[in-house]
Amino acid sequence: MDTPSISLGGGEPIIRLRDVAKSYWREELEIPVLQGIDLDIPVGAYIALMGPSGSGKTTLLNLIAGIDRPTGGSLEVCGSELNDLDDDELAGWRNGHVGFIFQNYNLVPVLTAFENVELPLLLTGAGRGERRDRVEQALGLVNLTDKLRSYPRQLSGGQEQRVAIARAIVTEPDLLVADEPTGALDAKNAEEVLGLMERLNSELGKTIVMVTHDPKAAHHARHQIHLEKGVFDRTVEVNR
Amino acid sequence: MRWLALIWKSLLRSKRRTLLIVGSLMLSVFTVAVLQSLLTSLNSMTNNPNSSNRLAVRHKSGLTQMLPRSYEPYLRQQPEVETVCALQWFGGYYQDPRNFFANLAADETTIFQMFREEFGVSDITEAQIKDFQRDGAGCIVGEVLAKKNGWKVGDVVPLTGTIFPINPRLNIRIIYKSPRPSDENALYFHFKLLEEGVPRMKGLSGSFWVRLHRPEDIPRFVERVDRHYANSAYETLTETENAFNLGFVKMLGNIGAIIQGITLAVVVAILIVTGNTMATAIRERTTEIAVFRAMGFSSGRVLTLLLVEGMLLVAMGGMLGLLLALVAATGVRSTLGSLTPFLADFTILPDTILACLGGTLVVGLLATFIPAYAATRRPITDGLKAIG
Ligand SMILES: Nc1ncnc2c1ncn2[C@@H]1O[C@H](COP(=O)(O)OP(=O)(O)OP(=O)(O)O)[C@@H](O)[C@H]1O
Ligand SMILES: [Mg+2]
Repeated sequence: MDTPSISLGGGEPIIRLRDVAKSYWREELEIPVLQGIDLDIPVGAYIALMGPSGSGKTTLLNLIAGIDRPTGGSLEVCGSELNDLDDDELAGWRNGHVGFIFQNYNLVPVLTAFENVELPLLLTGAGRGERRDRVEQALGLVNLTDKLRSYPRQLSGGQEQRVAIARAIVTEPDLLVADEPTGALDAKNAEEVLGLMERLNSELGKTIVMVTHDPKAAHHARHQIHLEKGVFDRTVEVNR
Repeated sequence: MRWLALIWKSLLRSKRRTLLIVGSLMLSVFTVAVLQSLLTSLNSMTNNPNSSNRLAVRHKSGLTQMLPRSYEPYLRQQPEVETVCALQWFGGYYQDPRNFFANLAADETTIFQMFREEFGVSDITEAQIKDFQRDGAGCIVGEVLAKKNGWKVGDVVPLTGTIFPINPRLNIRIIYKSPRPSDENALYFHFKLLEEGVPRMKGLSGSFWVRLHRPEDIPRFVERVDRHYANSAYETLTETENAFNLGFVKMLGNIGAIIQGITLAVVVAILIVTGNTMATAIRERTTEIAVFRAMGFSSGRVLTLLLVEGMLLVAMGGMLGLLLALVAATGVRSTLGSLTPFLADFTILPDTILACLGGTLVVGLLATFIPAYAATRRPITDGLKAIG
């Protein structure tokens, strides 16, 4: 099948997908979800991945973020060929390179905001003092220095998502992946979170891949990529 | 926050789980520790280290049948024999029928030689022994028993017979100390007192205790004696003292098998309860586990965290149960210990403690490992999709 490949101009690609495919099997029947995906995304891009439900957005995002394996093709992300890494190496790679933002925030309920943000740092070997500085810095960036000791249940949805964003950036990853980050938020909180992500992209130079249904959310990105039944449909440059 | 703090906070997250696991483990470990210690106590009763060369000769048809005293000279003549002592369970009580202790009529001339270890004979003077032997109403009592009743040497102890229709008034002549407290809950008086007071006991005794010079001679001696009296009016059954006591214990039913059965049932039940609770708790955390792994925690690391958490949880329950059992053991010793001889030195032995702790950790490991392993092998994308 002839599928358009997408190459966003600009600098060195941080994401480079070649002929990536993903299928599931139901008994003998192969169900292709993604087919022949070629994608080049430069450092510092902010992409909104769009498309109808079931088109494979989440699947593609998970492949890029290294929490899923393709059934074909190669993925070079943040300088590593992901197929060459075993599961433990891939875990280490994620810790160093990728920050995750989820629709449901997914904070640990028994940990405070501070501790939630500290969590990924436990793997880095950073000392206590360094961890504290970085956590405070990250929570400062999302404007929550007054909520260090709050538990998730004591926070609003918007605040929870901001804590989750702090957790995603605390290890200073190059790449942020977000699957419907505003899906559970009201318009006002969604705007706030999107504004924050925009700043992370423009001020800190984070590369962001965000899956979203919401055209308003997608408008915050610099490029929109549309998936249709597992193949790229079209790319739109956003003029902000 | 350190690793342990993370584990601790996760461990306390579900009050229901914490209470269920700590509580049920505490109760099971308590039950198993106490039952196993009870078994140890019972076994030690039939496993007296000082009795390796002692035998009991009794009537073949049961403990209630008597043997003629005229058997004594024959037994004494055997070359292997050091001494022989007629012994008859009296079964009397002092003041209160519920107040159980061993009281027996014994041949006062040979008893010190027969039970020299149990009586701590090296601490008893020749004069004390003479004193007891001269007094037909004299008796000797163990220190545990004497303490419990506030008896001193020189006191008069009225016993009420239950098997025999006499109520002897005995003079305490000796209070002895034993290496094993369970041997101190006993009283012995002159055999003649029973023979003279109870006409049907004239010339009879329920058993003869025999002490051989060497334990190696036991099989030969047993065979010879039982053959000698085979087909007589009073056939004998000769067995080691431990086997004889075991016969007593066996009258209570096969307690060992019952206790092992209960222990097994408790272990299986606790494995099911703990396993089920852990599985539920880990399933509830499916999404969280996936998030940890997405952030870069390896499967092995997550598995370790979950295992340590599970082990800590069961260990808390196990320790509390043991603590409870140790407190209970002290209670049992100071209350029931004076009522029943085999409970006088009731303790939770180090072996039992180690076995219980080991068992607890194995239960915790099994109960946690299975769901934790499954959770950490599950694809991360599946876990993120689960409703958490
Ligand atoms: N574990 C799985 N087993 C079988 N099929 C799957 C599995 N995960 C996803 N799929 C299928 O893959 C396709 C793409 O799923 P994906 O989650 O990527 O869609 P999506 O674009 O993110 O949709 P939505 O907007 O609803 O989140 C769907 O048809 C889905 O049914
Ligand atoms: Mg999706």
